[in-house]
Amino acid sequence: MNAIERFTAYAKGQPIDRLPCVPIVGNTAARVVGLKIAAFHGNGKAIADAQIAAYRRFDYDVIRIFTDLYTQAEAMGAKVHYPDDETAYLAAPAIASVEDIARLRPADPYRDGNLPHHLEAMERAFQSVGHEVPVNGALTGPFTTASFLVGAETLARLMLKNHAAVHQLCEIAFESARIYAEAILKTSCVPSLTDAMCSSTVISPAQFREFGAPYLKRLVDVIHTHGKTVTLHICGKTHPIWEAMADTGADCLSLDNAADLHAAKIKVGHRVRLMGNVPPSEVMLQGTPAQVRAAVRDCVRKAHDNPKGLVVASGCSLPVETPFANIDAMLGAVREIGWPVDPSAIASD
Amino acid sequence: MRTRQPLNFTTIIMSQEELFSALSNAVVGMDEGTTRQLSEQAVAQGVDAYTAIEQGLVDGMNRAGKLFETEDYFIPELLLCSDAMYLGLDILRPHIKRAENTQRPKIVIGVIEGDTHDIGKNLVKIMLEASGFELIDLGRDIPPQRFLDEAIKADAQVIALSTLMTTTMDGMAEVVRLLQAAQIRERFKVIVGGGPISQSFADRIGADGYAGTAPAAVKLVKNLLGVAA
Repeated sequence: MNAIERFTAYAKGQPIDRLPCVPIVGNTAARVVGLKIAAFHGNGKAIADAQIAAYRRFDYDVIRIFTDLYTQAEAMGAKVHYPDDETAYLAAPAIASVEDIARLRPADPYRDGNLPHHLEAMERAFQSVGHEVPVNGALTGPFTTASFLVGAETLARLMLKNHAAVHQLCEIAFESARIYAEAILKTSCVPSLTDAMCSSTVISPAQFREFGAPYLKRLVDVIHTHGKTVTLHICGKTHPIWEAMADTGADCLSLDNAADLHAAKIKVGHRVRLMGNVPPSEVMLQGTPAQVRAAVRDCVRKAHDNPKGLVVASGCSLPVETPFANIDAMLGAVREIGWPVDPSAIASD
Repeated sequence: MRTRQPLNFTTIIMSQEELFSALSNAVVGMDEGTTRQLSEQAVAQGVDAYTAIEQGLVDGMNRAGKLFETEDYFIPELLLCSDAMYLGLDILRPHIKRAENTQRPKIVIGVIEGDTHDIGKNLVKIMLEASGFELIDLGRDIPPQRFLDEAIKADAQVIALSTLMTTTMDGMAEVVRLLQAAQIRERFKVIVGGGPISQSFADRIGADGYAGTAPAAVKLVKNLLGVAA
């Protein structure tokens, strides 16, 4: 079974060979093809080639074109630093103060920053392997992009002092994301949403409902208009907002290892598919293959019977230097468990 | 900056206890205006500045920390409380009697080279300052060797390292290795924190401790230094 056949059968409740499995490979793909991460900067072909090679090397179920969270903010004027061989980071926000919000414009995905190169990567990956595996394009949520546009601490203060300014920022970030989402859909890829700053580790559930969720819902609606399903990822603690995340209309929630899949299943499993949540740092990067296997079995034990299904995944994008042996161990553990799930796998180890 | 308000008939004279409790409430209530006014009033009334800080501002910040632990407050609220606290500190600190101002244990804190995420580090700094420690904040994207240099220079007791990125975790191990190589490992307690960091990682690199939240970092430092909580 290829990934598309597997997802299609799983959604219909037909037999599958194993649960879908997605180690979320970002810049680790550079290691598969022996490139430095800087080689991805401004080079859609390099991103596509590496992501395709990583998919072929590990045989997982979703390709996600992603290098960092800043692509959209950069295209709107934020300064991003590209180290030679590490993931890019935000060097400076696009604007220094609230007065400058009016200067911001939605990005043109065919012209601004690295967006054209990411679109090229999506197009190339879809042309090459889109018939056998879903290819996603990473789409950063409006609230998170807003935090990169004005700076995280400034945005945090504005949330309590100037609601209108935060909404203004989110609105422009949304419009930019909407246009980019349409461009991603045009490549035949599907946008997958990440809204890291919406985590309950950072903002309150009430703040998420006011500043995060409404904009996510509008993006989900745009994607649904094209008949596609959407995955929404939020890092860190999310248990207080699972219902609000499901209310955005997202079809699948991708949860970090700070979340308990069993509790998520009980709370929202009848509404959304769950994806997660092997710890990316502690287990995938620093653990042994045996620990990866145990963590996979733990996820499956907790959520294999989720009414809307389970995708075994890492809790977040994999750290760049994640050992290949651990990625292999993740897929191996899922194959070993098989389908229907081997009862010994879901008994307590 | 507004000029200090003189005591007049419109200023309610409070007892010291009332003033401290009102200061604490202003900080936990994220109210910069009231914090400023009460701090100025404390100075004008000749209240002991050190006590006003401890029982007013710091008490308020500690209450904010507790609300953060119970998930009633989140990062935005904690930042605004700290804005109020620092505003009050700026007014009251110059009035602290010298003898009370020299005892604070020093902590060098910073985000490891390659990482510019500093909200977590800033929260830890705020809570440690509120707990009576003197913080030397190196900022973000700091090379390992600089932590040593600054800790030696300041005669610090603790080196606090933060990172949000897995790619920079090795920089933390490098700080410990450099301390060992310089044969000064025993002089400093090294604590680590940040998204991808765990107790097992702290143990593996030979750090003295790990904390998952800013309030937990305060408890950790107090434990390591044997300071009463």
